[in-house]
Amino acid sequence: MSAPGNGSRRTLAELSVPSEPGNERRAMEEVAGTVEALGLPDRTLERLKTAVAEATMNAMEHGNRYRGEAPVFIEVSATDAELSVKITDEGTGPPVFDPQTPDLEAKLDGEQTPRGWGLFLIKSMVDEMNVTGDERHHTVELILHLNGRAEGGARWP
Amino acid sequence: MAVKHLEVGVRREPGGTVLDLRGEINGFAEGALDAAYTEAEKGNRDPILLNFEGVDYINSTGIALIVGLLARARAAKRDLSAYGLSEHYVEIFNITRLSDFVSVFPDEQSAMEIAN
Repeated sequence: MSAPGNGSRRTLAELSVPSEPGNERRAMEEVAGTVEALGLPDRTLERLKTAVAEATMNAMEHGNRYRGEAPVFIEVSATDAELSVKITDEGTGPPVFDPQTPDLEAKLDGEQTPRGWGLFLIKSMVDEMNVTGDERHHTVELILHLNGRAEGGARWP
Repeated sequence: MAVKHLEVGVRREPGGTVLDLRGEINGFAEGALDAAYTEAEKGNRDPILLNFEGVDYINSTGIALIVGLLARARAAKRDLSAYGLSEHYVEIFNITRLSDFVSVFPDEQSAMEIAN
């Protein structure tokens, strides 16, 4: 979802990774390489990498059920104002994320499972997260606002 | 990109038992992490220090494994500390509130000084 007046959207890369355990790391490194020219501050880049890894892992696990022949597609695009990473799997029905907000004390007391951090981490790492789906695909879109985020910018010290 | 499976060394020091972690903390790490922690807690009540200097990737499943270790430490009333985390993973420890329960230090020396 682009803000008006931010210039045309440029597709920076279209990638895919097989749905095999551990491939979320490959996805995050490929996205990091793709956005290198944007000059994101290190902290922002690390946050983006974590969000991409978690969204890709969710897509491989819940959307594609770790079927190696079912790839996760990743589209990276940007306007002057924002960077978008769309992560699409072949799942049907509503996308699966643990809806419970993780509560560490509840987890330590056995009232919540120790897992369930993925969605929380994604939301904490990017400015916006949009989830869409139809009968054949789920897409999670991660958005970073770029204004003020150039290397040395004031928004993220 | 090949997964760097976690390797864990167990090292007894006067100030506590150090788990030297090397590789990735993800779903593949569960066996190595649990075995090393079990070895570390044998026969003593010393603090356990997690050395993350050799770790370059932790995902949400890895966070869950660390929560599991913390639950074991709390049940045994044992101190659990961490050092050597990158700036990014210190932030993750903060936002997940792990750092409310696991003392985080920049290096082994400062962790040992507090432990002693």
